[in-house]
Amino acid sequence: METYNALLNQIVMAQYQLNSFISSTIRSINDENILSTSILILSISFLYGLIHAAGPGHGKALVALYFTSNKSDYKKAFKMGYMISIAHAISALIFTFGIFYILKTMFRKNFNEMSMVAMEISASMIICVGLYLIFSAYKSKNLKEEKLGKQTKSEYIIALSAGIVPCPGVMTIVLFCIILKQYTLGILAAITMSIGMGLTISLAGILSILLNKKASNFLDNKGYILEILGGVLILILGILLFTSVGYK
Amino acid sequence: MKILINLILFINILNAHPHTFIEVYPNIEIKNKIIEKINFIWKLDEMTSSMLIMEFDQDQNGNFDKKEIQYIYDYYFLTLIEYNFYTDITVKDKVQIFPQFYNFSSYIENNKLCYSFTIKPKLNSKDTLIDFGDTDFFVAMVLKKEFIKINDGTIKVSDLDNDFYFGYRMEFN
Repeated sequence: METYNALLNQIVMAQYQLNSFISSTIRSINDENILSTSILILSISFLYGLIHAAGPGHGKALVALYFTSNKSDYKKAFKMGYMISIAHAISALIFTFGIFYILKTMFRKNFNEMSMVAMEISASMIICVGLYLIFSAYKSKNLKEEKLGKQTKSEYIIALSAGIVPCPGVMTIVLFCIILKQYTLGILAAITMSIGMGLTISLAGILSILLNKKASNFLDNKGYILEILGGVLILILGILLFTSVGYK
Repeated sequence: MKILINLILFINILNAHPHTFIEVYPNIEIKNKIIEKINFIWKLDEMTSSMLIMEFDQDQNGNFDKKEIQYIYDYYFLTLIEYNFYTDITVKDKVQIFPQFYNFSSYIENNKLCYSFTIKPKLNSKDTLIDFGDTDFFVAMVLKKEFIKINDGTIKVSDLDNDFYFGYRMEFN
């Protein structure tokens, strides 16, 4: 736990410094340095996304649980990592622009309320994914071919359920750019930040696939037990998220 | 199997990550080893500040008037009671109820939103520890030794070893 804490400290401090650097750099933009400064901001946003996603978050938990319990390949881990981060960025852009132009004031309060609603939707979807995975693993433990099609479908649902919650980190950068009237830069920063986040989430998926391979060798032809267990864990994750939103 | 069980335990940890950064500047007054007064200044990160200033500075003059400060106090600052103001005061391993605070004010400094408030804990400095951190890990409190002012004695700042979030501890020497 001490190592975890030291790592967490490093991640938090790096984010704190990058956050401060991005905001002061965006403020320093003028007509003369717009190109070089924008490139710098976008590069830092990528790094910020990479580190931001390295901190705790339910997206990685979901991806880790899914790939630990379901056979898959590295390509799919990348695909899912990027599907989650794209959904994350799109929802952040819609929420930010929507709230800013429709409501303008009471931004933070509305942002919190809307985040909670999104979190509830996400938690409900995760619960459904968990139930679906348990049911499908149990039902088709002997029908491997049929399972392949279902697996792809469940991957899309997982990506959507994790990504629907807008990333407050992306929202903050986008809003900051809107306030400073740097609209295009805001959208581009959200995209580059998402590319960074997608990479980190994909790495969580790859690590989980490695774990799955080891566990599958151990379980031999009873791999479906792992799949059911994974479904149960995803279900628990959904319930925990749902109750934590209700608690707040 | 062990790996999967560890993953279950990890679910609780994998919950949030900080999106708001608050620098904490404590100004401490000690008299006869008793902590008489601490004035805290919180400086929020520039991005979060810009979002909040947009709402708080109704007349958009770059300053907060009395009415605007009252709004911040009522609708934002007071709600932090729920989070114990991200500050746990511990005396002999017992977390204290957050003391009554005085002189709340809010202002803008270098594009950053600042909160200033004072507490009068009247606690023995030898037995007291002050921890900063958000248990939800949505806010990261940042405390550095150079942020602290103290009239008597010295302060030790250390990383706080929590299981679920990261924080700082302030100890009186």
